[in-house]
Amino acid sequence: MGTHLKTAAIDHATARRMEWEDRLLLSVSLIIPLIGLLLFFLYPVFLIAKRSFIQRDGNFGLSNYTEVFGMSHIPTVITNSLVMSSATTLLCVTLGFAIAYAMQRTTIRGQYLIRIALILPLLAPSLVQALGLIFLLGRNGVVSQYTGWNIQIYGFWGLLISNSMYALPQAVMIIQASLRHSDSRYYDAALMMGASRWRQFIDITLPNAKFGLLSAAFVVFTVTITDFGNAAVIGGNYRVLATEIYSQVVGQMNFNMGAVIGIMLLLPTLVAVYIEKVSSQRQFGGSSESAIPVTREFVPLRDIPLAAVVHSVGLIIFMIVLTVVYASFMRLWPYRMEFTLANYNITLSGGYTPLWTSFIVSFQAAIIGVVALFALVMAQRRLPRRFAKAIYLLAILPVGVPGLVLGLSYVLSFNAPGSMLGMLYGTGLLIALCNFYHFHSQGFLTMVAGIRAVPPALEETVSCMGGGVMNSLRDAILPFMMTTLVAVFFFLFMRSMVTLSAVIFLISPTLSVGAVSVLRLDQAGFTTQAAAFSTCIMVSVLIALGLMKLILFRLSRSRASVAVVS
Amino acid sequence: MHLIIKNLSKSFDHFLALNDINLEVGSNEFVCLLGPSGCGKTTLLRIIAGLMPFDSGTLSLGGRDLAKVQARERGFGIVFQSYSLFPNMTVAENIGYGLKIRKWPQKDAEAKVRELMELIRLPELAHRYPHQLSGGQQQRVAIARALAVDPAVLLLDEPLSALDARVRAEMRLEIRDVQRRLGIPTIMVTHDQEEALTMADRIVCMNQGVIEQIGTPLELYTRPQTRFVADFVGTSNLLDPDWIRQTLPALSPGIPEDELQFQLSLRPEDLNVVKDDAGTGIVKAITFLGNISRILIDWQGRELIAESHRFPSLAEGDAVTLQVAPEAGSWVRI
Repeated sequence: MGTHLKTAAIDHATARRMEWEDRLLLSVSLIIPLIGLLLFFLYPVFLIAKRSFIQRDGNFGLSNYTEVFGMSHIPTVITNSLVMSSATTLLCVTLGFAIAYAMQRTTIRGQYLIRIALILPLLAPSLVQALGLIFLLGRNGVVSQYTGWNIQIYGFWGLLISNSMYALPQAVMIIQASLRHSDSRYYDAALMMGASRWRQFIDITLPNAKFGLLSAAFVVFTVTITDFGNAAVIGGNYRVLATEIYSQVVGQMNFNMGAVIGIMLLLPTLVAVYIEKVSSQRQFGGSSESAIPVTREFVPLRDIPLAAVVHSVGLIIFMIVLTVVYASFMRLWPYRMEFTLANYNITLSGGYTPLWTSFIVSFQAAIIGVVALFALVMAQRRLPRRFAKAIYLLAILPVGVPGLVLGLSYVLSFNAPGSMLGMLYGTGLLIALCNFYHFHSQGFLTMVAGIRAVPPALEETVSCMGGGVMNSLRDAILPFMMTTLVAVFFFLFMRSMVTLSAVIFLISPTLSVGAVSVLRLDQAGFTTQAAAFSTCIMVSVLIALGLMKLILFRLSRSRASVAVVS
Repeated sequence: MHLIIKNLSKSFDHFLALNDINLEVGSNEFVCLLGPSGCGKTTLLRIIAGLMPFDSGTLSLGGRDLAKVQARERGFGIVFQSYSLFPNMTVAENIGYGLKIRKWPQKDAEAKVRELMELIRLPELAHRYPHQLSGGQQQRVAIARALAVDPAVLLLDEPLSALDARVRAEMRLEIRDVQRRLGIPTIMVTHDQEEALTMADRIVCMNQGVIEQIGTPLELYTRPQTRFVADFVGTSNLLDPDWIRQTLPALSPGIPEDELQFQLSLRPEDLNVVKDDAGTGIVKAITFLGNISRILIDWQGRELIAESHRFPSLAEGDAVTLQVAPEAGSWVRI
């Protein structure tokens, strides 16, 4: 052990310089994401709120609101939206609970089939459900064709089914999580006291899942009231707020009216998000680390009917999505059912260029998102609690803003020729930013959960050994965060690939994305080509999903990362 | 080098976590910070490490003021309860981590790592990863990693609490042995009094942000100065002066002047229980603890705990009398 070697950590001057560098690094990683939130979220949303109060004569006032409410069809549209969202919520929560219960508490066979079925709606733009339903039950659907029945699928029922299929996977995910965290000792104790199975269900299972159900209900309600794709394709004369805002802005160039309806859409969503946040803080019982999972059982009287329901739902989802894929290979649905690849020769609205644009835009959104969110979470962790909390609130605020409203607010903010921000308008980068901020909250929450898995003592060890922020980033944080980073990247990528509502306002004749192409093709009457394009999107997203699973699997095996230690 | 802490205080919001702490740690000393959870011992350790700032007072090492010195330039070694090894590095890489940060030439670093692996007696595990090691092995590696940089002070934050009883007992001796050989001033936080008593040169007994007493293990056990220390370190019968006068008059000459401020701490082994049919005490319960037995006695309306070595020839309900030496026990401040 040579005495010539330094054993003191570092000399004082070097330490000063390093400390300054660390400060700089942390400040940058705090300030840049915050500027992003300010510029690409707060400012546009503020502008849309302001715009809704600017009257025709240029003054502030409520005349836009009185005008909107004065339109003869608006009360019906609002009622339609509320009825549709409530009905979808009821259906999704009921079915969602049945499916979640079946997958979490029973030994019903073929659960993997349901798991696969539930992934399908996440792979494609929301309007694919509507498209498939029309192929099956529409005026030119197979069923009408072969039976001669006249099924009226456009309107309430069609929209209800498509919306439910779209929202169901999210409902199941939330409810399943709440069922997963129960403790079998509750049930053991109830059993010892003589409670019947039914009593146990009423007294333990339901109260335990209560907040999961509530949370699922709000998510479904919000997703449905703000979804645009299904309503545009299968809504028919059943007009809802989401389609109304589109026709006001794109059809009649009436931005002020659009802004008013946007604000109207914002309110129920904000209320729903708020209630969900408050209620989730009062979770029943609370789950402890040492919880013993509830054992699965087979109870014929309960499980046979349950299996029938659950598998029927899975089958319907499969059928509808597979119909889209199948139809994409048919010459003329449903009259000439001959195999052809002709539908994949898409020339309308830019051919496959929008799909390629989707790729680039989604990739940009994912990269920007991962870097910005990681930096924000890193910096936030070292802030005093008060500031950290404020940043947390700001970061989860975007979840309350529907894609349509965000997209419209971007038009209002960035369609300003000559200004600095105006230069972004019409670029793919703006669409990427819009997508990132649209899904900002979910990504942020995943990051926060990820960084909580990093043991604080490990970072402190690095400090005590003389390492700085970069050392602790490389040696303490990243090994624990790799899986989270990968998950957030692919989450942003996949959502950006399929989202329609946020980007619908941002496309231009020269720049469009895949999801919009599907809508355009469908509206132009090229339904089988729309199906072909949807299939391409689904395959792309499926590949991305597979890639993610592969990377996560590799990571869990490699020494470069740590599976979160249980 | 002496570590000197003077009048150090620290508060969180309105909670006073450390109140006027004064402590000196000598060059070769092993000091334990002992106290219940929330007493401020970990806060004090983190302040010494530089992981947390303090509000007032001074902290210096060998005459150098540490207030403005960052954790990374203090050159202290730290070991946490949770081992905190880098999961993606091998044992050797973990131990050599500090040397890598100090940019030692690889050859010297390797030699040093080998030397430390001998020291912790795990030379054959160099290329294993932390998850392939037992808890005790991981903690040995963590200690070697802290020692690699020849730290000016070694800080141990409940290093043995996560280990099972047998390994814990072994490692007490090992840590103590290594510390003596290297002569590094060491501060260890623990809530386990047995650990503190067996390992420390001096124990700093803390409660609610203040130091109750500093002393050698022997002093702390035989001459506790406060009621808290008497109660926290070992078991005590805490008796009021008035009650002593009436029921154990043999002890009354020792009652201090300012008697309302004091109680007598009487260790269970100070009481000698003698079977006596005419005695005024009654055996209420006997608990067999292996090498000793604990006897609960009803003595004139209050319960006293006594201990005897072997299993005593007593039964519950027996009448007994108590013998106690006049100089037994220590008067502690309430």
